[in-house]
Amino acid sequence: MEKRFDLVLGALLLLCAVTLVGLLSGTGSQASQRDLRVDKALEQEIAYQAKVSFLERLYAPVINLRDSGQNESALLQLDELSRKYPDEAHGETLRGEILLQLGATQKAIGHLASAVRMNGDYVDKQSPLSRRGLIERLLASELTKFKQLAADNSASRSSQAALKDLYYLQGRLAGGCE
Amino acid sequence: MSLRIYAAFLFILLLAGCQGTAERPVMKIGYMNCNSEAETLTRFRPLTQYLSDKLEIDFQAIPVDTQDFPERFAAGEFDFTHSNSLVYVIMREEQQLELLATEQRGNYGSRTAGAIIAKKGSGIETLADIKGKRMIFGPQLAPSGFLAQYDLLLREGIDPELDIAYYAIPSGSFKHEKVVYAVYFGDYDVAAAPALDIELMTKDGKITADDFVILGQSPIFPYCTFGARKDLDPDLIKRFRQTLVDLTETDTVDYQGETLKVLASAWIDGFEALQDSDYDYIREMAKRANMPPYQEF
Repeated sequence: MEKRFDLVLGALLLLCAVTLVGLLSGTGSQASQRDLRVDKALEQEIAYQAKVSFLERLYAPVINLRDSGQNESALLQLDELSRKYPDEAHGETLRGEILLQLGATQKAIGHLASAVRMNGDYVDKQSPLSRRGLIERLLASELTKFKQLAADNSASRSSQAALKDLYYLQGRLAGGCE
Repeated sequence: MSLRIYAAFLFILLLAGCQGTAERPVMKIGYMNCNSEAETLTRFRPLTQYLSDKLEIDFQAIPVDTQDFPERFAAGEFDFTHSNSLVYVIMREEQQLELLATEQRGNYGSRTAGAIIAKKGSGIETLADIKGKRMIFGPQLAPSGFLAQYDLLLREGIDPELDIAYYAIPSGSFKHEKVVYAVYFGDYDVAAAPALDIELMTKDGKITADDFVILGQSPIFPYCTFGARKDLDPDLIKRFRQTLVDLTETDTVDYQGETLKVLASAWIDGFEALQDSDYDYIREMAKRANMPPYQEF
């Protein structure tokens, strides 16, 4: 009788041990999955910060020239960089900003719209790359003008293209349907 | 008998073909030479063929020297013009040339600008430093290679005729590149170079952005321009303009057995329909610099 009791007790202990091992291993796997998710988010953030930092370093000569009022030289630096990084979104943004200062508004609108098409960060308030303020000011000052220009000069494909780009930028600022 | 019917049918067909060709009008487009007649024709013959196909007119491309352009246009040698924007203004003032469309190329699109450059490290950092130095300009009737820089100097209180030790204009073709290289290799201290040429040379890797200091640059103004004789059919003028502004980079033309992209073969990004008032800045510069069409002696 005593021997049978020991057998039952042994079986119960074994069951507890197996359950415990199972529970522990389950918890561990959940923890490691959570760790993985944290790692992934961190990796993405680190990659993003690295990209922003790289762009700042890459375009530093352009920005320095622009900030010191040498817009024409800044454009030449951009032309040179565009040989290695053609149609790169940050370069497009800077080109748009500089052309705006030089009075080539129509071309500037095209470059800014192209940058936003390539990378939505330029209209994202939270992004260090954001040019939302600039685009808002551009819309405030140019949208009415280009509507009128396109209406007065229906033969001009380029003023129509600029108006289309302005509407696109306006739409991107407004955000999508959620 | 059937052979006779066949021969008669063939004859009628031939006759119809001959009549069709004879009915298509012939008109001439004068193209201003940038570097050489050969280059001008290579660039613009495919575009001319495209215009012929679209407008059902046999257009002939006539290469014209810049200096002769207004005179030859006034003499009725061609009906349509493609010239720089200063030559357009001259013909507008003197012959009431009708504005068609403005060429788009480079950073500024349908606009361009003139820059004054010096070699980096030469000690010339501002426009004030160029007094007493040797300067090289582009050709006299070049709005972004001569006029804009001449005017810029005058506006800065520097008289190119008095305050510069010596200035010259290179001979032959590729003058705009020559002025850049003249400064690069130290033959001259300062050069008047079109912003577009500096841009293209940088993009091509012929020079780097760090080779030069831009001492000053003019505001932007319209680039090369198509015009039409004032007494042409208004509907033709309208269709010609629309054909140009509708051109996209994917449009092609069959030319001498090849299918070519029209804009790329002419080194053009597109066309824009500007207003004549957009050329007012060129008029102001020409008046200040005492240049045609406002030159007084």
